[in-house]
Amino acid sequence: MKMKEIIRTEGLAKYFGEMAAVHEVNLTLQEGLFSSIIGPNGAGKTTLINLLSGYLLPDAGRIFFREADVTRTPPHKRVKMGISRSFQIMNIFPRLTVFQNILLPVLSRLNKNSRPFSALKNNKEAVEETEKILNEVWLWEEKDSPAGKLSHGGQRFLELGIAVAANPQLCFLDEPSSGMNPIERVNVLELVKKLSGERKTTFAIVEHDMDVVFSISDWIVVMNRGEILAEGKPEDIRNNREVRDIYLGEEI
Amino acid sequence: MKTLTILLLVVLLSLLPLFAGKYILYMTIHILLLSLFSLGFNLLFGFTGLLSFGQAGFYAVGAYACAKILLSVPSLLLGILGGVVMAGVISFLLGLLSIRHTRIYFSMLTLCFGMMIFSLAWKWRDMTGGDDGLVGIPRAPLEIPGLWKINIATMESYYYVVLVSSLLAIYIFYRLVNSPLGLTLQGIRDSETRAACVGISVRNYRLISFTIAGLYAGLAGALLPPLENTVAPTVAHWSHSAEPVLATLLGGIYSFAGPIVGSFLFYIIKDIIVRFTEYWLICLGVIVLVLVLGFRGGVASIFYGKGGRE
Repeated sequence: MKMKEIIRTEGLAKYFGEMAAVHEVNLTLQEGLFSSIIGPNGAGKTTLINLLSGYLLPDAGRIFFREADVTRTPPHKRVKMGISRSFQIMNIFPRLTVFQNILLPVLSRLNKNSRPFSALKNNKEAVEETEKILNEVWLWEEKDSPAGKLSHGGQRFLELGIAVAANPQLCFLDEPSSGMNPIERVNVLELVKKLSGERKTTFAIVEHDMDVVFSISDWIVVMNRGEILAEGKPEDIRNNREVRDIYLGEEI
Repeated sequence: MKTLTILLLVVLLSLLPLFAGKYILYMTIHILLLSLFSLGFNLLFGFTGLLSFGQAGFYAVGAYACAKILLSVPSLLLGILGGVVMAGVISFLLGLLSIRHTRIYFSMLTLCFGMMIFSLAWKWRDMTGGDDGLVGIPRAPLEIPGLWKINIATMESYYYVVLVSSLLAIYIFYRLVNSPLGLTLQGIRDSETRAACVGISVRNYRLISFTIAGLYAGLAGALLPPLENTVAPTVAHWSHSAEPVLATLLGGIYSFAGPIVGSFLFYIIKDIIVRFTEYWLICLGVIVLVLVLGFRGGVASIFYGKGGRE
């Protein structure tokens, strides 16, 4: 398979006071490879995603998305370029219905969300796409209830739905299974894998469940103390001595 | 059922001059003006999540602009349009500065801008008449020169002018909040970070919301001078900015009709209590307090069955 880079960073750095959350990171993700970012707590995984999605601005370094310099591009413009994300801490639209939660990003992608007078249900294209996504993330039954009233697991599925509704080329998922029970956990990750097969989206996820990471990833990036410790195919990472050291005692 | 209620209400309002006296008409006009004022306010507050304490400033811009126009050109249409446009322009410009912040900082900024407009109205004697305000504003005829002209000097006919403009503005508002634009604003209210991360320019949409709120305040303001024949600086005072806040809290912030219901209650409560005591604001305060503590969704939520705490 011919490789093509989708996002690349050069010397990316972010400091919170004295602490280097992300330090001198040179990362390249390839299009079509399901990538996982792993590492112990405080390794800088979430900060890295925040930088790549534009939620935070870096203190040094540059970010290129398909050759375009997006280092200081605001998040809403990055979404239009094709970079989407979900959040580690639940971030949905709690007062909107489940249906509206998906409809909004779909309208945004179709550049229709500034229309002041057309009725929502008359946007056929957007409504059909919303219905399709709701079915994909198994939330069809709950489409009319307020998103804030969904179960925790349901909200995580919804968050995933919102992230893919932008129909991104690159989608970051920050711990999509956090707080879920083991059954939901497997379900959500299988769903992500399924979506990555069906859509033309390259997924990069942060995940703690090592069994899952090693079974679904094509590429694994290991971070520690703000730096990239190792990256490679799952079998290479599994045999990497340094990685074994930071996960001491855990079977990976 | 809902359509029927609205239809009945519209018919009732249209026939009101047949059986109601001048005082009732005068009150109804004020209720309609406060409704427009509060709807605009609530687009910012309930739908976009920004609490403005300076809306009276834009109301005053609408009122003074309309008054100045009517004093030189006796055309009601021109006066009202001029007032609305002027309020829109000013709210757009001040919005550029205000929406850079959110929460309490936004509220304080709008309070400051509102009071700046009040100071202008109070001190700029040549333009605004200072503390005397502008007097002798004519209830000019409604006309398109050479085509069509209606005399609206009586209270009854002016009532119809206000009623038609209000119903039109309310209908537009209804379409607005149920459109993709309305959904986008509600998304920003619920989570600005999530909204930005689905591709929405939060700042632009806040500015749109702020400008529309200013337009509605301006429309309410522009309809005032022909009714009262005077404008005084008190319309710009921050205590006047509190009226839409109270009306909206009374009626319900998350429903479309909340501010309208609230405006009606605001005047009814005021009218009843003021007969017994001059301290009517204390009573109103207690009522709002009870509603906020017990029924966060306001009076409207009791009927929609969504009352109570969340």
